[in-house]
Amino acid sequence: MVMSNSIKIKSKKISVFYGDKKALDSINLEIPEKKVTSLIGPSGCGKSTFLRCLNRMNDTIDICRIEGKILIDEKNIYEKGLDPVLLRARIGMVFQKPNPFPKSIFDNVAYGPKIHGIVNSEDELNDLVKDSLKKAGLYNEVKDRLDEPGTSLSGGQQQRLCIARAIAVSPEVILMDEPCSALDPIATAIIEELIDELAKNFTIVIVTHSMQQAARVSQQTAFFHMGNLIEVGKTEEIFSMPKQVKTQDYITGKIG
Amino acid sequence: MGFWSFFTLLCLVGFYVNWYGTTKALRINSNIEKGPKLPSLPNYYGRHALLSFILVSTTILLVWIFLKPFILDLLLENKISVDLTSSFDGDPSMLIDTIKATNPNNFFPGTNPLIIESAKYYEYIKETSDSYVYLMVLFVALIFSIFSLRKISISFQARQSVEKTNINILIFCSVIAIITTIGIVFSLIFEAIRFFEKVPFFDFLFGLAWSPQTAIREDQVASQGAFGAVPIFSGTLLITLVAMSVAIPIGLLSAIYISEYANLKVRKFLKPVLEILAGVPTVVYGFFAAITVGPFLKDLVSFFGFSIASESALAAGGVMGIMIIPFISSLSDDVINSVPMSLREGSYAMGATKSETIMRVVLPAALPGIMGAILLAVSRAIGETMIVVMAAGIAANLTANPFEAVTTVTVQIVTLLVGDQEFDSAKTLAAFALGITLFFATLLLNLYALKIVRKYREIYD
Repeated sequence: MVMSNSIKIKSKKISVFYGDKKALDSINLEIPEKKVTSLIGPSGCGKSTFLRCLNRMNDTIDICRIEGKILIDEKNIYEKGLDPVLLRARIGMVFQKPNPFPKSIFDNVAYGPKIHGIVNSEDELNDLVKDSLKKAGLYNEVKDRLDEPGTSLSGGQQQRLCIARAIAVSPEVILMDEPCSALDPIATAIIEELIDELAKNFTIVIVTHSMQQAARVSQQTAFFHMGNLIEVGKTEEIFSMPKQVKTQDYITGKIG
Repeated sequence: MGFWSFFTLLCLVGFYVNWYGTTKALRINSNIEKGPKLPSLPNYYGRHALLSFILVSTTILLVWIFLKPFILDLLLENKISVDLTSSFDGDPSMLIDTIKATNPNNFFPGTNPLIIESAKYYEYIKETSDSYVYLMVLFVALIFSIFSLRKISISFQARQSVEKTNINILIFCSVIAIITTIGIVFSLIFEAIRFFEKVPFFDFLFGLAWSPQTAIREDQVASQGAFGAVPIFSGTLLITLVAMSVAIPIGLLSAIYISEYANLKVRKFLKPVLEILAGVPTVVYGFFAAITVGPFLKDLVSFFGFSIASESALAAGGVMGIMIIPFISSLSDDVINSVPMSLREGSYAMGATKSETIMRVVLPAALPGIMGAILLAVSRAIGETMIVVMAAGIAANLTANPFEAVTTVTVQIVTLLVGDQEFDSAKTLAAFALGITLFFATLLLNLYALKIVRKYREIYD
């Protein structure tokens, strides 16, 4: 497979501190556009922390301090004066545990378009919600009960609802933080297919505990260990002939 | 035997029964060399014996407390001689009461000696009967616990039995609350029915005038009294509305600030300070309303060219609202805090600002709890008496103007029952009619509130 040369996100010497504790140490990573990049590594290695740097979600934690730069389309998102709220509208996020809002299925998807004023009319909104649900592969299952609460869906459906919610504002990047860890194998398979489909239009960064999942869905894989980026490369290379011993140890189950 | 020595003995026997049961079970277990041991742990056998001991003794004691007056009367009646009955010069039905009211050690000179003798007897059985009952309690309870101790064997499942008894004790305790409520309702209903014999029900419920002054003597030409409850309930409603329109916005907004924006230091300071408001006695709020807020409102309102009564619904309601703030803010703060962080993060990740997240995600999720807090505050406002007495007066005006003096149900109940009143005049009985109407009004309110809360629960949980 040929890597596209277009790089969407560049992380330059990103370090993260929680209080005095250093959680990430000078990470340099390039993420290609409209590809799936997976971040793997043992628990507490900093992969989720790195993901949360990409949409500045770490800003909501009081004791968190960040050094370095992250360039999205060559523009530093940690620049002074940049509004993280606007940034997050461009970068969608799907969480580990499905977290639909306490609203109807329709209102869950309409949430983003409404707060950002993306649509001008009821009809446009209806179309956008329908379209987003279709892209998330959920529309056929819920089309007759859009006014039912989002929490009434099954876990896998809830997670797809969260994906529909994220893509309703047409983000450029979608961040996924272990999106399948709370789901059963069938729901996981559906989400993985969906990720393949979404990669045609979106740049996706996914944190996962499952190496099989990383191998199945991603084109690029980055291995984190103890706050350091150990190795990054094409997924099939990482899993077949890793250059670093630690990577080798992790994918063969010796550490982790 | 005095009560305390009886009680000590009871505890000692209870401990002994418990210990004996446990050791007996241990002994049985240690004697079994092969095969299954006792089905429950040894201490359950002790506890089973103890439970039967406690339950039997408390049951007998409770029954005795209820029956004691009747049994004593019965004993006294049997003792009364024919001589006494014939020589008693009052109403025969009063004889027993007369005997009971006579102090055998300090009686009026010239009291019938037979009465004094009976009174002595009554005094005697009153004092000694308790001791006999105590002995009986100990005896019967001990028999029951011996039965329980004898039952200890491989085939007796003490653990299940103790578990069942525990459940029954819990059920009994919750039934007490229900029975008390029913008792309260009935005590109100009987007096209220007597009131409605004097004043027609619909005149009370829909009457527009309230002036409970009635003639005390037959020949008085004083007013007939008017018992229309509408002005009182409208007054209650008006004051509650004023109070809630102060308390809900301030309480809710401060709860949002404390839970979502304030940092830990501010929060640690602010929450207790707000809760101090709840600890101020309502009489003090009454002073504040009558002496500070009332005159201030008078100046303020006259500045804008209106006039306000010196005792007004606005002053009382406003101060009541301040009193209620901590109820709403503290409870809502707890509820808002319990909204999962993942919902907030989901909203931030969509590019929502903090206030958008609070308005559109956090508050809707916390709504059932917030509704609960508000309704608790409403019932507090309806029941509040002191502030209204001091700051809103007792004039039953039918008005929706908060600048005028109004009165509330609780205040009227107090004024009706304070002072010298015969207990069968319409004026006094009206208090009970008001009480039961208030009871049903708040009951309906609570039921409605529960329905709302449940509806939201279904949607959001």
